[in-house]
Amino acid sequence: MQQIAIAPGAAPRRKLRLGGQMIGIIGAFLVLIGISALVSPQFISSYNLTIMSRDLAFIGIVATAQGLLLLLGDIDVSIGAIAGLAGIVCAKMIVDMGADPALAIPAAILVAAAAGALNGLIITLLNLNSLVVTIGMLSVYSGLNLLITQGRTIVNLPKHVTFLGSGQAFGLPVTLWVMLAMFLVVLFVTARTVFGRQLYAVGNSREAARIVGISEVRVRVTAFAIAGGLAGVAGILLCFRLMSAQATLGQSWLLPSIAAPVIGGIATTGGIGTIWGALIGAAIMVVIGNIIVLGGVGIYLQQIVTGLIVVIAVALDAIMRRFSAGN
Amino acid sequence: MTLLRAENLTKSYPGVVALKDVSIAVEPGHVHCIVGENGAGKSTLVKTLTGLVTPDSGRLIVCDEDTTGRASSAIAYVPQELNLFDNMTVAENIFLPAGAGGGRSRFFDPRRCNAAALPVMQRLRMSCQPGDLARDITVAERQLLQIARALAVDDFKVLILDEPTAALTRPEIGRLFAVIGELTAQGRSVIFITHRLDEVLHLHSAITVLRNGEVVGHVDKTSNEIIDEAWIVRAMTGKGIDLGHLWRPRQPRGERLMEVRGLSGKGFRDISFDLHEGEVLGFAGLVGAGRSEIAQTIFGFLRGGSGEVRYRGQPWRLGDPRRAIANGVIYLSEERKSHGIFANLPVRENVGIGLLHRLSKGGIVSPARERATTLQIVADYNVRTASTETRIRNLSGGNQQKILIGRGLMAGPRIMFLDEPTRGIDVGAKADVYALIRRIAEEERMGIVLISSEMEEILRCCNRVVALYDGSVSAEIGEDELDMATVLAAIMDAGPARGDKRGATGRPQDDIAAARGLAV
Repeated sequence: MQQIAIAPGAAPRRKLRLGGQMIGIIGAFLVLIGISALVSPQFISSYNLTIMSRDLAFIGIVATAQGLLLLLGDIDVSIGAIAGLAGIVCAKMIVDMGADPALAIPAAILVAAAAGALNGLIITLLNLNSLVVTIGMLSVYSGLNLLITQGRTIVNLPKHVTFLGSGQAFGLPVTLWVMLAMFLVVLFVTARTVFGRQLYAVGNSREAARIVGISEVRVRVTAFAIAGGLAGVAGILLCFRLMSAQATLGQSWLLPSIAAPVIGGIATTGGIGTIWGALIGAAIMVVIGNIIVLGGVGIYLQQIVTGLIVVIAVALDAIMRRFSAGN
Repeated sequence: MTLLRAENLTKSYPGVVALKDVSIAVEPGHVHCIVGENGAGKSTLVKTLTGLVTPDSGRLIVCDEDTTGRASSAIAYVPQELNLFDNMTVAENIFLPAGAGGGRSRFFDPRRCNAAALPVMQRLRMSCQPGDLARDITVAERQLLQIARALAVDDFKVLILDEPTAALTRPEIGRLFAVIGELTAQGRSVIFITHRLDEVLHLHSAITVLRNGEVVGHVDKTSNEIIDEAWIVRAMTGKGIDLGHLWRPRQPRGERLMEVRGLSGKGFRDISFDLHEGEVLGFAGLVGAGRSEIAQTIFGFLRGGSGEVRYRGQPWRLGDPRRAIANGVIYLSEERKSHGIFANLPVRENVGIGLLHRLSKGGIVSPARERATTLQIVADYNVRTASTETRIRNLSGGNQQKILIGRGLMAGPRIMFLDEPTRGIDVGAKADVYALIRRIAEEERMGIVLISSEMEEILRCCNRVVALYDGSVSAEIGEDELDMATVLAAIMDAGPARGDKRGATGRPQDDIAAARGLAV
């Protein structure tokens, strides 16, 4: 009677490795690189690769942060402003208050995590829509950044600190190493920990998660705090890279933070995709942005082209998903 | 001339035959009542009559025209579920579905729309204003509004009312019945679907009784039979179900596990029952009788609730699912797809999420142990899945359910609330689930509460049944009295259980009409 067909083999390690769906996205990425190299010989120059790896460091971190929230079915559009807040708090503490960077950096990350957690608390305790709440909080945190800087630019950060933003180690930018470390930690957390399982559970069905005894509020607030903290790291690194901090720090990260994970196959409805998608999506975004410049697309066209590519990628992903669901 | 004639309608869905060779004829000026329990095929029949569903075979003839599978303007339909535009006015709700603002103009004029709504509203004696927002009026007015919407387009010949009285009070029901009287006097017909047998007896010109998608009883004015509640219950029971194999646990029940006294909450009040080791207790009742709400409140998924609950002699705290699970009380939802499985995750992780504490160390999950546990469930409960890495949504409903039950059992519970555990599951897998329920009651000595709309399931699996009607316990039925007529009478609020409603004449329709303030 018993017809159990279970494929024998090693213990499953799928989420740490790349899933089947990711292969298509990586394929698209490789094709993109091939085309880029053909279009512009400078594309693979070491100078250009360094530029791209710097961009990837920042976008990779914010995409990882947003990816965590998208896996839950949530979103935080104030993530760029939170990043800016961390950078500004850090610069202010070091320059204006003479704090030791070893104290200022963790303190600024904590501020960012608290800002994220506050978003999460408002959303979960009052049962509000995360998009709407964080649009409001975007304005709050941007305003806070203006208030702290008084509209001025904070400069004169010490050299040994700005090294973290612009220096190199083992042949790669320090920022890229930081990003890779953050990414690996988040990857491990989502794939292998109790918290990661709960994250996917809540992302798939909040009701089903409650029925198996998972505290939906705790999981969501924690994820918002982690996302805020990660964004804070990116904001501090950008501040060091620019050797200054001003109110607009991190403002341009909203679009890539959402677009990258979605291009990488993380559904905005929650529970689908892996954090790998955030990284590869970020890489795709960076290459597209780079090739537009190298390919000589006029500066006024760049935004339009980037935006269109994002919409097309999202539409393709949705269509593919519908197609595979139909089978 | 027969206004509506359905000939040999058959419709099947994967795993179920919803309608089997159903024929009905609706004569002008008649009220044709359709009765049957949940899942008898009433909804499918109505959807076929309105053209929402195309039958696999059979014909539908409305006013001498074949309208099989398409909507006919001669039929007006008031669905069971309210579907109103909550943020629009009463008048807009009446006329919008007809695509007009109460006149011929393509421009919308609120004053004209409100004026046009008044006559229809007065006909039903609605007390709200045409300009009120639909979300602000009472539930009963909302129900009347839905009916007003159908009456507003006056060219129909047949009006179909699907459980229109559920939310109405006596005077409103009286008004509705008067409108039905006006329509039939004009030579139009009404198809009336209800669970309330007194209404059937009051209204009917003809009655069709459905069970398992088949017509099992029919009477009309030409019949000489005496039609009373007993007749209807008898028709619904038919020759009785061939129970075949019984799945009731056969060992004597053990000590009392849970004691519920006077529990009230959202959708139910004053509920009392006991649950013992090794027994299957059925919660029988119509949809909306409060079955799921009781279980969810005790488990803690639904917040609120007051009354006394004791678990193994200790006071039980409501409102905390985590604590309930930790103490050995588990609930499996009837909404398997949205409240049970994590659709996009592999089978292995679906198992793991329910057992995270056992399968992790220092916050890190062991996929190997998840897999081993999953393989054990797969083997123990004969689950068919390609691998432990298959997304659970690709498994059949029965196999999903076995995974969920198996996962629940791994946590070592003492009480399990199973809410419609075989909904959407094919016949073969149902027997597997029944066997599993009996096994855990007998071998693990657990107390099981089985919530089911299926009479057959209740009768075959339960040692004892708590019958619920409109949020209250209408009867508790022991194993020796457990038969279809008793349970049906209790969940329909009719028959011996409600005998006290009868007056002196012995003709129930007179008394009920009198009680509801109707002129007969």
